[in-house]
Amino acid sequence: MIAVFNGAVDDISKAMRLHRVWIALAHEDIGDQHRRTTLGPLWLLVNYVAFVGTFVFVFQPAGKDAAGYAAYVAIGLLVWFYLMEVMSLSVSLFQREESFIEGTTLPLFVYVMRLALQSSIRAGYAIAGCVAILLLSGPSIASPWLWSVAGLLLILLVTPAMITVFAFLGAFFPDSQFIVGNLLRVGMFFTPVFWVYNGQEGVQKYAYHWNPFTYFLEIVRLPIMKGEFPAHAFTVTIVMSLATWMIALLLLGRYRRQIIFII
Amino acid sequence: MVSIKLDNVGLVYKLHEKLTLSAPDRRVGRPGGRIEGSGRKQFVQALDGVSFELKAGDRLGLVGPNGAGKTTLLKVLYGIYEPSAGNVAIEGKVDALFNINIGFRREATGRRNIVLRGLISGWTEAEIEEKMEDIIAFSELGDFIDLPFKAYSQGMAARLAFSAATALDPEILLMDEWIGAGDASFQEKAKRRMDELAERAGIIVLASHSEGLIQSVCTKRLTLRSGRVESLTMEPAKRAGTVARP
Repeated sequence: MIAVFNGAVDDISKAMRLHRVWIALAHEDIGDQHRRTTLGPLWLLVNYVAFVGTFVFVFQPAGKDAAGYAAYVAIGLLVWFYLMEVMSLSVSLFQREESFIEGTTLPLFVYVMRLALQSSIRAGYAIAGCVAILLLSGPSIASPWLWSVAGLLLILLVTPAMITVFAFLGAFFPDSQFIVGNLLRVGMFFTPVFWVYNGQEGVQKYAYHWNPFTYFLEIVRLPIMKGEFPAHAFTVTIVMSLATWMIALLLLGRYRRQIIFII
Repeated sequence: MVSIKLDNVGLVYKLHEKLTLSAPDRRVGRPGGRIEGSGRKQFVQALDGVSFELKAGDRLGLVGPNGAGKTTLLKVLYGIYEPSAGNVAIEGKVDALFNINIGFRREATGRRNIVLRGLISGWTEAEIEEKMEDIIAFSELGDFIDLPFKAYSQGMAARLAFSAATALDPEILLMDEWIGAGDASFQEKAKRRMDELAERAGIIVLASHSEGLIQSVCTKRLTLRSGRVESLTMEPAKRAGTVARP
């Protein structure tokens, strides 16, 4: 077991020493996706704002709940789109990197960090849009917002572990690319991204309490919406993050040398 | 002292039966090698008891039919595959050319691609900067160096890949078949650089089906068949003594 963890740590530390490689490749990825477009990566901002605008326009509740709905949806979509993108791209990560894996001695974690950075850069454009919507839609800046920043940092910290777990899942079980994609599309409706949970009974109650994504959303959203530190959501998220990292280290340590024979 | 020593190296990997919803006959992982076992416990014996020793100045040609284990052996030497048996002892800085396109991005310029290729090979930014003009000059790409890589012909891409891979004076250079794809003048130029490398007490290992390329570049020939060494001989044109031909 110790040898497995040492192997994973060795792979990660080598990848960290090669940070110039994944930073350069991630920037190239972003540049390539928007090359020859007029707005370039600003399209990411436009897409995000268009989504938030559509959800607010269609689903905004009447009455007193209406006030903070734009902020609620803006934060919900920011976190959900980020998690959705990370997971859906992760399941095919090793297959996409096949030529690199078969032709170089780069540690596997380089590819994990390449995707993590790429997703973070894309999320950065959405964050700019989210901040603008928050400033325009009412809630005034207060010190509890710092907890939201801490929540975002926690999500960033667990991202490489999530990518690793889903990348191994996709390598061993190729059909998971489609299963995960479909589950994520459906999952948006079972996660309080755009619907508000006010203690009602029924499906929404279970979808709120038993959905792990709820807690990732709430550690960012509650400090801004309610002005409080969401201790329960942070505790659940930290426990899930540690568990994800444990699984990621086990997979990386145990199977990193086998991946080349599997993809 | 630059050297390569393989002692009874074997590579066996399990054919992972992927969890998939597709029909059973589509579950096999990858082709090549000798498949042993049956049912759920199938293994590929890709290399079996491979032993040889190379010293400074040696230029080894790997030959054998498709699936004999040439590329697998190169990848074991480079460290991509971890051998499941035996020992690999390598002294010297290794660089490899397996695939022209690795590290090259279609949309990026040749100049930017040199930077990316250098970073992937573990060079520092200072080393990349220092070697940049040499690489461009050797590749003979001229003004094309500032055009996107996708505008390059296969030969231009090969020239850039070879120039970059050999720019930092590797002590051991591993190459797969592709170098035979370039035009005659490029091959001649590449051969001269390989000669220089070998004369500086380096080692070259080249896998190829091209008899002409093996004869013109290599001093030794290792014939592989089904993952096993069939023979290790001196090339007639270069040999110091007579060794049995395969």
